[in-house]
Amino acid sequence: MTPDALITTTVLMGLLVLAGGAWAVLYCVGRMRARGALVRAGIASYGVALALALVIAVVSPLDFGWKLLIVASALAYAAIPPITLRYLERMHSDEEAHS
Amino acid sequence: MYRSQKLALRYLTAAATLFGVMIVFGLLSSLYYLYPSMLFNVFNFNMSKTMHIDTLVIWLLMGLMGAIYWYLPKELETEVEGIWLAELMFWIFCAAVVVVALVFLFVQYGSSNQFSLWFINQGRKYVEAPRWAAIGITLVMLVFSYNVIATSIKAKRKMTGILWVLVIDLIPLVAVYLDAFPADTNLSTDLYWWWWLVHMWVESTWEVLIGCVMAWVLMDVMGTQRRIVEAWLYIEVMLVLGAGILGLGHHYFWIGTPRYWLSIGGFFSALEPLPLLGMVMHAVYDAGMHRLKTSNQPAYYWITTEAFLNFIGAGVWGFMMTLPQINMFSHGTQWTASHGHFAFYGAYVCGIIAVLYVAKQRVSGVEVLGGNRWKWGYGLLNLGMVGMVMGLLLAGMAQAFYGRAAGGSTLMAFTMASENPWFTSGMYARVGFGFVFAAGYVMLIYDLLTAPRALPRAEPQAQPEPA
Repeated sequence: MTPDALITTTVLMGLLVLAGGAWAVLYCVGRMRARGALVRAGIASYGVALALALVIAVVSPLDFGWKLLIVASALAYAAIPPITLRYLERMHSDEEAHS
Repeated sequence: MYRSQKLALRYLTAAATLFGVMIVFGLLSSLYYLYPSMLFNVFNFNMSKTMHIDTLVIWLLMGLMGAIYWYLPKELETEVEGIWLAELMFWIFCAAVVVVALVFLFVQYGSSNQFSLWFINQGRKYVEAPRWAAIGITLVMLVFSYNVIATSIKAKRKMTGILWVLVIDLIPLVAVYLDAFPADTNLSTDLYWWWWLVHMWVESTWEVLIGCVMAWVLMDVMGTQRRIVEAWLYIEVMLVLGAGILGLGHHYFWIGTPRYWLSIGGFFSALEPLPLLGMVMHAVYDAGMHRLKTSNQPAYYWITTEAFLNFIGAGVWGFMMTLPQINMFSHGTQWTASHGHFAFYGAYVCGIIAVLYVAKQRVSGVEVLGGNRWKWGYGLLNLGMVGMVMGLLLAGMAQAFYGRAAGGSTLMAFTMASENPWFTSGMYARVGFGFVFAAGYVMLIYDLLTAPRALPRAEPQAQPEPA
C-alpha cells in the first residue's frame, strides 16, 4: 500500500462510520420530533456512507474480501436505525401501557 | 445510607484521586516527546508511561467497583454480605497501590530475576505491578465477587436481570486477570495470553460492568423503567460480546500468531461499530423522551456523552485502523494512542464521572442537581480530550505515512518521522490540550467538592412527540 493510499483509505473508512452515525442520530431525532428535514438529512448521510463504501471498494488497495465486508457493513447501516427506533418505540409504548 | 454506599464513596474518592495522578503522569509522559532528555536517568519515560497507564487501569477499576458497591444495596434493598471484608480489602487495595507507586517512582526496575518479578516490576505492559500486588488485586476481585454473589443469593428479593448479567460477568472478570501472572519466555506466546487479559477486560468484561452501571444510572437519573434498561442491556451485551470477543484478533496481527487471525480479527473488529450505533440511538431516544429534563443534569449529560464518544472513539477511530492492511502501518504509533485515549474516555471515564455526580447528589441531599458550575469541568474535559486525540491522530498518521509506509519502518525512518513537523505539531497540540484536560479535572473536582445550590424539581416527561 502506498503512503497516499494508506491515508486516503483510512480517512474514507473513518468518514464512512461517522456518516453512519450521522444517519442514525438525524433519523432518530427527525422521527421523534416529526421533522421531515432532519429525516431527509439522515437519509442523505446514509447516502454519503454508501457512496464512501463504494469509493473504498473502487479506489482502495484493500483485498476483495475486505471491500465486500465494508460494502456489506454500509448496507447493514441502512437497517440499524429504523429497526432500533421501532424497537425502542415498542418498548416505550409497552411501558406506557403498563403504567 | 448503607455501609456499602459509604464504602462506595471511599472507592469513588480513591478513583477520583488516582484520576488526577493519571493526568499528572500523562502530562509528564507527553513532555518527553518534546524534550526527550528530560529527567534522563532520574525518571525515564518508560516509568512515567507505566504510572500513567497503571493508574488508568486502577482508577477505572476502583470507579467501577465503587459504582457497584453504591448500587448493589439499592438494587437488593439489603446490606452487602461480608461488608466488613470489603472494607478491609479497600484499605489493603489502597495500601498496595501506594506501595507499588512508591516502588515505581524510586526503585523503578531491578535485575532479571525472581526477586524483581515478585517485588519490583513484572515488566508486562499494563500489569507491571509486582507479583505480590497482582495476588493482592486477585484477592480484592475475589472478595468483590463474593460480596456481589453472596448478597444476591441471600437477598430475599428475586434476582434482577442486571444482577444476573453482573454475576455472570464476574467469572471471566476474575478468570482473565489470572493472565497477569505467567511470564512465558516465548514473546509470541506470552503476548497471545496477555492480550486475553487486556482485551477481555477492556473490550468485554468491563464493557458489561459499565453496561450494568449505566443501566442503574439511567433508572436513577432519568426514571427509565427497569424492563427497558434490562432489555437494552441484554441486547448490548449480546452484540458487544458477539463482536468483541473475537475482535481480540486485531491484537494478534503482528505478534507471531497464525495468519488466520488477520481474517478473524479484521472481520469481527469491523463489526464492532454496529452495536455502538444502536447505543447512540438509545441515548438520543431517551434524551428526546425526557426532553433533557432530569433530576441530575451533570450525570445525565455525562451518560449521554458516553454514548456519543464511545461511538466516535471506539467505533470511528477503531474502524479507521482495524483492518490488517491499515493496522500494519498504524500499530504502535501515536495513532493507536489516539484511539486508546478516545475509546477509554468514551467507554468508561464519562460513565464513572456520571456515577460521581449521582453520589454527590445523594450526599448533598438535594432533589435536583444542576446549575452551571459543573459545565466548566464538562466542557474543559471534553475539549481537552478531543484536542488531545486530534493531536495524537495527526502525529500518528505522520508516523504511519513517513516512518512506516514511505520509510519502510527502518530506525532511520522512525527517527526522521519523529522530527517531522506534522508529528511534532501534533505532539505540541497534545501537550496543550492535555493542560486543558487537567484544568477540566480541577474544575470537576472543585464542583464535586462544593455544595450544590438547591434547585426546583423538574419532572421528567416520558412522552415522545408524535412521529
